[in-house]
Amino acid sequence: MGVSQRLKTRVRRFLQRPGTTVDLAPLEKLLPTIEAREEELTELSDEELTEVAGKAEDYVEICAAGREAARRGLDQRPYDVQLLGAMSLLAGKVAEMATGEGKTLTATIAAYGHVRRGNGPVHVLTVNDYLARRDAEWMEPVYRLLGLTVGWVTEASTRDERQAAYACDVTYVSVSEAGFDFLRDQLLTDIDDRVQPPLTTAIVDEADSILIDEARVPMVLAGAVPGEQDPVHTAASVVRGLRAGRHYTVADDGRSVAFTDTGLAEVESRLGDVDLYDDEHVEQLSAVNVALHAHALLHRDVDYIVRNDGVELIDEMRGRVAQRRRWPDGLQAAVEAKEGLDATAEGEVLGTITVQAYVALYKTVCGMTATAVLVGDQLREFFSLEVAVIPPNTPCVRIDDPDRIYATRGEKEEALIQEIQEQHDTGRPVLIGTLDVKESERLAEALREAGVPCTVLNAKNDAEEAAIIAEAGAYGAVTVSTQMAGRGVDIRLGGSDQADRDRVAELGGLFVIGSGRHDSRRVDDQLRGRAGRQGDPGRSVFAVSLEDNLVIRHAPDAIPPSPRMNADGLVTDEQVDFAVEHAQRIAEGVNHEIHRNTWRYSVVIEQQRKALAERRERLLTTEVAAQMLTERFPDRAKEMDEDLLSRVGRSIALYHLDRLWAQHLAELSEVREGVHLRALGRLDPLDEFHRSAVPAFNALVPEIETRTVETFEENEFDDDWEPGAGELVRPSATWTYLVHDNPFGSELDRLIAAVGRRLSSGSR
Amino acid sequence: MLSAFLSAFRTPDLRKKLLFTVGIIAVYRLGATLPSPGVSYGNVQQCIRTMESGEGNGVFNLLNLFSGGALLSLSVFALGIMPYITASIILQLLTVVIPRLESLRKEGQAGQAKITQYTRYLTLGLGILQASAFVALARSGQLFNGMCQEFPIIPEGTGLPTWLTVTVLVITMTAGTGMVMWLGELITDRGVGNGMSVLIFTSIAARLPSEGWTIKNNKGWAMFGLVLVLVLVVITAVVFIEQAQRRIPVQYAKRMIGRRMYGGTSTYIPLKVNQAGVIPVIFGSSLLYLPSLLLQFFDQNNLNGWQTWVQNHLVQPDSPTYISVYFLLIIFFTYFYVSITFNPTEVADNMKKYGGFVPGIRPGKPTADYLDFILSRITLPGALYLGLISILPNFFFIWLDNQQFQNFPFGGTAVLIMVGVGLETVKQIESQLMQRNYEGFLR
Repeated sequence: MGVSQRLKTRVRRFLQRPGTTVDLAPLEKLLPTIEAREEELTELSDEELTEVAGKAEDYVEICAAGREAARRGLDQRPYDVQLLGAMSLLAGKVAEMATGEGKTLTATIAAYGHVRRGNGPVHVLTVNDYLARRDAEWMEPVYRLLGLTVGWVTEASTRDERQAAYACDVTYVSVSEAGFDFLRDQLLTDIDDRVQPPLTTAIVDEADSILIDEARVPMVLAGAVPGEQDPVHTAASVVRGLRAGRHYTVADDGRSVAFTDTGLAEVESRLGDVDLYDDEHVEQLSAVNVALHAHALLHRDVDYIVRNDGVELIDEMRGRVAQRRRWPDGLQAAVEAKEGLDATAEGEVLGTITVQAYVALYKTVCGMTATAVLVGDQLREFFSLEVAVIPPNTPCVRIDDPDRIYATRGEKEEALIQEIQEQHDTGRPVLIGTLDVKESERLAEALREAGVPCTVLNAKNDAEEAAIIAEAGAYGAVTVSTQMAGRGVDIRLGGSDQADRDRVAELGGLFVIGSGRHDSRRVDDQLRGRAGRQGDPGRSVFAVSLEDNLVIRHAPDAIPPSPRMNADGLVTDEQVDFAVEHAQRIAEGVNHEIHRNTWRYSVVIEQQRKALAERRERLLTTEVAAQMLTERFPDRAKEMDEDLLSRVGRSIALYHLDRLWAQHLAELSEVREGVHLRALGRLDPLDEFHRSAVPAFNALVPEIETRTVETFEENEFDDDWEPGAGELVRPSATWTYLVHDNPFGSELDRLIAAVGRRLSSGSR
Repeated sequence: MLSAFLSAFRTPDLRKKLLFTVGIIAVYRLGATLPSPGVSYGNVQQCIRTMESGEGNGVFNLLNLFSGGALLSLSVFALGIMPYITASIILQLLTVVIPRLESLRKEGQAGQAKITQYTRYLTLGLGILQASAFVALARSGQLFNGMCQEFPIIPEGTGLPTWLTVTVLVITMTAGTGMVMWLGELITDRGVGNGMSVLIFTSIAARLPSEGWTIKNNKGWAMFGLVLVLVLVVITAVVFIEQAQRRIPVQYAKRMIGRRMYGGTSTYIPLKVNQAGVIPVIFGSSLLYLPSLLLQFFDQNNLNGWQTWVQNHLVQPDSPTYISVYFLLIIFFTYFYVSITFNPTEVADNMKKYGGFVPGIRPGKPTADYLDFILSRITLPGALYLGLISILPNFFFIWLDNQQFQNFPFGGTAVLIMVGVGLETVKQIESQLMQRNYEGFLR
């Protein structure tokens, strides 16, 4: 690094400009010392190594022991850069490491280090169950040599398995599973059922995905409320066949839809000439609105797939099926009705926590990903995390071509197929990243017609993922995939056995083609990152059309009316290049804004949840409820068996606490829905939200006591009394899902925009 | 409200924020009284005294009010927060005109940060312009309407070349503008309340003691006490009416929930009695400055017929015509401004878009008509109230027989701004306080 460059970095760091990263120099200085320890450790027996590992406390010893254990356990000697990464993780940073640089092993050394430094137990939070299990099993030998136990949790794990896994020094678990375990622990009535120990350290895999993209998704623990299915199905049939423009209008950003007057009249006549806005028809109105949303805004094979008689959501950022995620508030049932499936019962929210709030419960958080710098600001804003950029072991030689922009979607696809065919004829492996399932299928179909055999990987066949990806780098392979291929998997040149590696490398390595820009620059970068792994040759290019959703939704005005273009439709206009980048930046800005809003509103709920959790913990572990009852009813308490009184008191109090909390959550989501209207009275919606939430919560506490006393008074209890008898029935089925955040979109800045519009229309 | 402050002081991080804000305010006030180099402090004081006892109705009074008296004394912070506010408004308007800015605004936070940066540059640019203008005015004696020629504010012959004195002055005042802007942003980021508003509040409030003292000196203790009581009554009334609102219930039907337990009591549109805020008063008084500005072009001692009429009826703040015109202007601007900022059709469309409706009323035009009906009815008392509060100083003016009460800090614009900012800030403190106050609950 030249002097001027270094000075520049200093100034940037001082000003906390975007792209600021941690200075690695102090850690780099330790590398020679670590290497010096290597010789000594190589000569130890396995048992001796374990013993040495059990004493390590500083970075040098931890890295040296970790490196030796990895060499023996996996037959891989960690590179210096991996140790740098591990040390950054130990220092509580987010390490940016390129694809294929061995993040899993880095995390292993860091997890070991955290345990040794007294920050255990360590949870490694992954994006899905598959990776949790794979990584835990893969790294098990290393942990064993280091004298640590390791466990993993998946959706299928039983309670005993979970307890055992969480009791290990290091536990691999998907972030949603960990969050649900936490929520379930919050609703225990028996202390022995608890599975999670107090949360200490989290190492977050794919940190940008979990901490930023998923952070705003609340995890919800819901209990079944038997609901009538009729309104949903009726509504679905009523809106079927309605046409956009005539019967309803979709907002430009594609996030909301409303009936036109014609549409409303049509719906009302189909329902038998009712006035939907009459008080008694509110339920029906809601059903129709939700059905319209499902009909107009959610598309099969884009937003969801239908599999095994069920609707499964597709994660927009990752292109995978989102595990156990459901749309909230009846939308899920409406989509099911639209597809002619049986609607599943709607849930009452029993407990909720956002991924962000959950991660914040850990005392130490660190993480790693290939794309951290682009979200450096957000990581600092929401988690106070700094980014450390770890240099690649071998420099990346991938060639990134500038975007190819076409005027129409047709021209883009024609050009894509031609390009793929040309590349395929040379035998070079090609990976095509598409935006959604539908497009991946259409493109594959077109390729086959053109005589190019290809493999499709999308949310529908995710079970074969590992096998497909393993061969994606083989000679002559053509793979069409959604963003799924973007993360967590490695594409090796020359196929899984790397037999044709040299031949493929000579052709220029893997060629990655994106069929369109995603909503986030990071997703694009992840896709590019599939090529050029560990210094391999590779090339990437994105093809964009001016009819892509990204451009249409976010930058329709920025496109010049008649851009310069070649005869084949390839646009060569700088203004258009700018417009595409601009559209992506807007999309990122919108997501950031949604994230911030969700966060600002969830802060107060999170505080209340914490306060109540502490109270609940006391009820659960001490005799406060029994004491309270004894004070109120000294005579009756004397008559009762002490053990029974304690059981009864605890159960009743916990029951009411949980019920009231669920009601409180329902009330808050009602307030949240319309609180933006307060801005019309020049009031700050967030302040107003607090003004509603706080007094409601303060009233909650005495209410718990009142109701506990009432229930105790009204019921008889004998020795056989069990919680769950009588009216204290818990919701019969309890299941968990993730709510897709606010599909209707929030519109707090509407007023500002309105004034702007008025001014602009006035100036023309 | 007092109890809110007390418990705020008991909450450590809120206490830190409050003390930080107070510290910034202290720095701001210090800079506002610190004379710029090259300005004769003694002469400035002399001129201000002449001005106060004199006849003139200073054109820069409103600006002086907003800078807390710093402007006329050409202190380091003479320009105050005004260049920053002006720059913000200009950039906001430019956003509509310049496509590049509009696309930046759309890009969310990152783009917004760039716009903020441009605003800062523009502020400094405006700072240089205004500083030069005021230095020039001061040198020519125009700053005090030519009534203070015998005491040069920027004395010559101090041994330094004039160009150097003037340059240093302009640089100092521009730097002061930058500093004030920074102080404002610091308050917004790390203190309580909105920085710009808090600084304006400070400037206005800083005038209270000296204005009060002038009354005492001119009219004695009894009158002083009476004014004090009256002012308290006015402030109470303003606080009361500023908080008054009509709540129009709104129900959302976009979610299917098993049982609805809370029938929309928490979701409503608050329509304030004073929906327009202080803007109509500022518009109205700015418009009424025009006649007085116009007369500046003529020979003051030799006015012809219509000029005398204007002088007597539209410039003299105690003339009944002046008061009535002012009152009517404010009523007009209240309706005008409310109709601009609250468009019932737009609100109704927004509600419809997200599935909201007023119970019993169909969405779209019926809802818009309903909102319009309520709005026009509630705006009438609001407009009358604004008008009355604004002409109050003119009655003081007649009553106290003093020339300096047009921007008298106990009435009109000043009280409205102070109460507005005060309420907003207290609400913010309260909200933060509520968020943090779970310690008490944990007992």
